[in-house]
Amino acid sequence: MTTAHAITAAAIANCLGTDGRTVLDRGFAGDDAMSPAGAFGEFPFATVLGVMPGISARRGLRAADGVPDHELDCTPTRLAMAALPSVRQLRPAVRAAVDRWGARRVAYVFASSTGGLDETERALAPDPRLPLASTGYRYIDHGIDATSQAIARHLGVEGVCTAISTACSSSFHALASALRLIDRGLADAAVVGSADSLCRTTVFGFHSLGLTAPTATRPFARDRAGITLGEGSAYALVERDTPDTRRRALVRIAGIGAASDAFHHTSPHPEGLGGQLCMRQALERAGLSPDAIDCVSAHGTGTKLNDAAEAAAVRQVFGRRVPLTATKSLTGHTLGSAGMTALVLAIESLRRQAIPATLRARPHDEALGVDVVDRLTAAELRHVLVNAFGFGGSNVSVVVSRPDMVRS
Amino acid sequence: MTAAPCPGVIGSVPIWKAAFFSTSHASARDVLAGRERPFTPPAYGLLVGRARRFTSLVTQMHIEVCGALQPEAQRAPAVFATCHGEIQTCERLIADFRDTSMVSSARFALSVHNTPSGVYSVATGSTAPTMTVTGANAVAAGWLEAALIALEAERPVLLSIADEPVPPVFCGPSEPAGFAAGFLVGAAPGAAGPAPGCVAELAIAPCGEQPEPDPSIDPLRGMARAADAWAHGTPVTIALGAIQPGAMLELRLRPAGPRAPGEARA
Repeated sequence: MTTAHAITAAAIANCLGTDGRTVLDRGFAGDDAMSPAGAFGEFPFATVLGVMPGISARRGLRAADGVPDHELDCTPTRLAMAALPSVRQLRPAVRAAVDRWGARRVAYVFASSTGGLDETERALAPDPRLPLASTGYRYIDHGIDATSQAIARHLGVEGVCTAISTACSSSFHALASALRLIDRGLADAAVVGSADSLCRTTVFGFHSLGLTAPTATRPFARDRAGITLGEGSAYALVERDTPDTRRRALVRIAGIGAASDAFHHTSPHPEGLGGQLCMRQALERAGLSPDAIDCVSAHGTGTKLNDAAEAAAVRQVFGRRVPLTATKSLTGHTLGSAGMTALVLAIESLRRQAIPATLRARPHDEALGVDVVDRLTAAELRHVLVNAFGFGGSNVSVVVSRPDMVRS
Repeated sequence: MTAAPCPGVIGSVPIWKAAFFSTSHASARDVLAGRERPFTPPAYGLLVGRARRFTSLVTQMHIEVCGALQPEAQRAPAVFATCHGEIQTCERLIADFRDTSMVSSARFALSVHNTPSGVYSVATGSTAPTMTVTGANAVAAGWLEAALIALEAERPVLLSIADEPVPPVFCGPSEPAGFAAGFLVGAAPGAAGPAPGCVAELAIAPCGEQPEPDPSIDPLRGMARAADAWAHGTPVTIALGAIQPGAMLELRLRPAGPRAPGEARA
């Protein structure tokens, strides 16, 4: 059993809104926040997107959305703008953690899949023959670094600072990395941040793989047709397990498991082998049996193969119809931020003692043999398992528990 | 509560095996001696048939050194580190899109930073976890991550570090050589495994505030020194890169066991 460190603060922003309370209230109300693709750009195929309200790189978020320009000392890329609302939400808690532990004892682990690709795309668009520097483009903005380091400076954290990119499981690998830093004594607290923003290459790319849905995603529905891409950010402040942090904890991280499919780079193992392995490992590390899990927050992308593989894995691990929800129906698929996005919603589930609805899941695909929660459902929730799976067959599961449900 | 600052020494892990590849140098020692060769691609023999198609230079180089660490590294958790990721694939992806308004599905699928780790796990059938660290301090972060996993798990850990040259259109760093270095670190890979070549000690050392990258930190030369030190049992300290403001991660290698300094490994 691993030490169950505490998540003492969390933040989230995506198509549902740029302040945490709005996102959570709308999410648990089952608001449909998906936009026509035209809200982001023109595409020669039908698709919808989860566009963050007011986001526009260079101009920053509109004042009406409460986020001023140039709050971070980096280029206001779309990635930075996707991260900023969550950074603002988490800032008071991080600054208190800095006061509590010392700036050099607070680490920052950032996760993103797409990084600053949008910035590179737009720099290339006007005249591809020009060197990018002549457009004002900086190579550093293509990657994750510039945003990550600017956020760390903004938050005043001076601990170990790293960036992780494992496609759609990125943010859970970042969480695992942060826990290792705390376990090994390199930090007492860690800001785990994740952000990804929409870009045309991603939308066209997922479409080229036949993975985007023409209408809003319908995870685990019989006639599901694919992913709705989204953008946003999700953050958590993780603090070392102590009597004080136990008192302040929103949840405790009971266990994390990771495994590879070793099957195909973009298609899941048909039986969800990697998913099975990482869910079992997360349960083992949490010291919990599958029966103790009250809800699974699925990766649930809404593609035929992904949902079938994940359902197979859930059936194998749990051996019963555990309540399962797919929050990408609310937020869209936020790629490198997907895991933490679902985790913040799981934290709220444990607080509200309610499971958010999987939108548009009817008619259910009964052949999958899973119990999809398709309306807001009150339930006694003690432990929730959250999945994040990605390209490369990279799978991570996290068990989060109500603070009073973890033995110390 | 006021906590102690970060510890100097994070921990020590044995290095059981090391491998090095450079497109412009025949060996790690040639890097250190400044002896170059014409561009030479890796053989990346772990990949066969269709798996070889569309792979980028950085993936091929990762696979090259991962292959050299087999069979001991099989089923080991793996950490992949890359500053630039699939930057050449990214350039082609955007150029194709610009020119044809289409995106190749194969190229898109292989454009993510963790492409090499995914390709590696499929090629070896290993379901062990893999992760990918990136950014300017990826070499330091990769060593740190691998050491922490090795210290946590009672299994060897594969660390693979690679970067390909950034295409000129990005106006990024001009690194002419592509290189990769692989290390099998941590718990013993089994009774039949090799003897450890050296012990790696990771330490956080103050380096002052440096707004610009430290020119003394050169991933190609640094990893060539590490691979060479492993092969020849020579002690060496290598600055891996910034790991937090004002502090860098140092890799201190010393020979393991009774081999005399300077004695080459077979």
